[in-house]
Amino acid sequence: MIRLMLTLIFAGCFTLATVLEPRFQALRPQTSDTGGFMGELMGESRRLFATQSFIEADVYFHSGYYPTMFDTKEALDKLDMNVKEADLYHDAPANGRRHADEEAGEGFLGQPRDWVERFGRHFIPTEHTHLANGKVAEILPWLRLSADLDPHRIQTYITGSYWLRTTLNQPAQAEQFLREGLKANPDSFEILLELGYVFDRNEKNPRVARNVFDRALQEWKKQDAAGREASPKALVEILDGLVMTDGELNDLQQLLADLEALKLVSPNPAGIEKSIQDTRAKLAAPPVRPD
Amino acid sequence: MNNVFALAGVVIKELYRRKDFYVLFVMTAILTVMLGAMRFFDNADIVRFLKEICLMLIWVSTLVIAITTAARQIPAERESRTIFPLLAKPVSRWELIAGKFAGCWLACLIALVVFYFFFGVITATREHAWPGAIFFEAFWLHGIFLAIVVALVLLGSVAFTAQSSNATICFIVVLGIMFAGGHLNRVADGLRGVSGNIVYAVYFAIPHLEWYDIRDKLVHDWQAIGWQIVGGATLYGALYTGLLLGLTWLVFHRKTLTL
Repeated sequence: MIRLMLTLIFAGCFTLATVLEPRFQALRPQTSDTGGFMGELMGESRRLFATQSFIEADVYFHSGYYPTMFDTKEALDKLDMNVKEADLYHDAPANGRRHADEEAGEGFLGQPRDWVERFGRHFIPTEHTHLANGKVAEILPWLRLSADLDPHRIQTYITGSYWLRTTLNQPAQAEQFLREGLKANPDSFEILLELGYVFDRNEKNPRVARNVFDRALQEWKKQDAAGREASPKALVEILDGLVMTDGELNDLQQLLADLEALKLVSPNPAGIEKSIQDTRAKLAAPPVRPD
Repeated sequence: MNNVFALAGVVIKELYRRKDFYVLFVMTAILTVMLGAMRFFDNADIVRFLKEICLMLIWVSTLVIAITTAARQIPAERESRTIFPLLAKPVSRWELIAGKFAGCWLACLIALVVFYFFFGVITATREHAWPGAIFFEAFWLHGIFLAIVVALVLLGSVAFTAQSSNATICFIVVLGIMFAGGHLNRVADGLRGVSGNIVYAVYFAIPHLEWYDIRDKLVHDWQAIGWQIVGGATLYGALYTGLLLGLTWLVFHRKTLTL
């Protein structure tokens, strides 16, 4: 009798589960952000860890010489570190040597306050250096982890791509990483801009690069029109990319149009005006007939 | 002295009879090998990430071994009442403490040799180079760190009644010092009056365990510290270990051993 009851209860539970499961699925917010295994495991908390992973990449970039939570904001500023922005986006010195501030003994650590601190400094990195050449690859695991934890963290893709396509000379990996980022953030003009650089500077394909820059411009305009904060600096960079590819494609009419647009936002309108005049002169010149 | 070595030998035998070390070592090895098999952006030269995780696991494992091994020594002898025939041998209370300390520390050092050998092999395999002087400095400083921790836990085992509370408190104290010990002077600067002075006093009184953690230097291929500095840190560690063992004896030699 007990067995029969247990079987009935089990059958009832199973039936109820098959009815309720689709309803619960329907109740879940319908977003493209599944987050994969990490998302299921950690929920929204993974975004916090994503930022921490990105910071860890910066720690590696500085070979462990990095402020702690006990250091003041002034100390952070001394080390040209700003975790909100692209810390890793600046060029590493070719030899990975120490900075001028460290030479002068004015690093974020400052002067030791007592003998304990003075002696303790022997056991921690105390020189401001950047990874150089192939060693930059050491930051990649943390960027990978950061992207896995928070696929919407655009800075991670841009930073990863920058190092992959420049110092590490792995443009195919950079493109793949950016496409992954674009899948999670289809309206990101930042990722499109970086992808344009991969096509233009690494793959030497200005036609595709121009199309990508053009799409980046459309996305920038969309965000600007929607009242979302679209960086004016990014607009300059996108238009600069368009101008660059127009020149490479020798499309003078388009070049002129893009230069006109760039002149309105560029911090150097005089220089752009000169380029406009040069382009107009080329357009006015009679075409050279092939013999 | 023979009594001390005899007691130490028993503690070392206990380490390899218990499963703690094997479990922690296998766990460390499996996790490290799994991470080592991962490829990031088709780049085979990445090694620092692996070194960092492996060293972190080694630090956690050895800390667990040190605290749990040292915490159960004296309470276990009391609970099983073997402490009475032991002290009637005759073994003095000071010899008992010294023997237990030597045994725990040597057991930790044996575990540390195995862990660092594994770490050295993993590093050499990935970097295609044998570890330099910094590797041996890291090992030695880690050993001194464990000596201070073992002495601290032995003091806790005669001061606190329960073994579990001693282990928990020691974990908190050690991790607290590792995390914030070196920054207390800055915290004190931010405080005013008596509280600032108290924090400053604590800063100078605590053993600065964070000195012995040179993982950042080892992971990021910094140059060796220099044996003079390591010698200074060893002397500092030896003084604190002696002080903690002295305090342990002070508490223990007046303690009634009946439960």
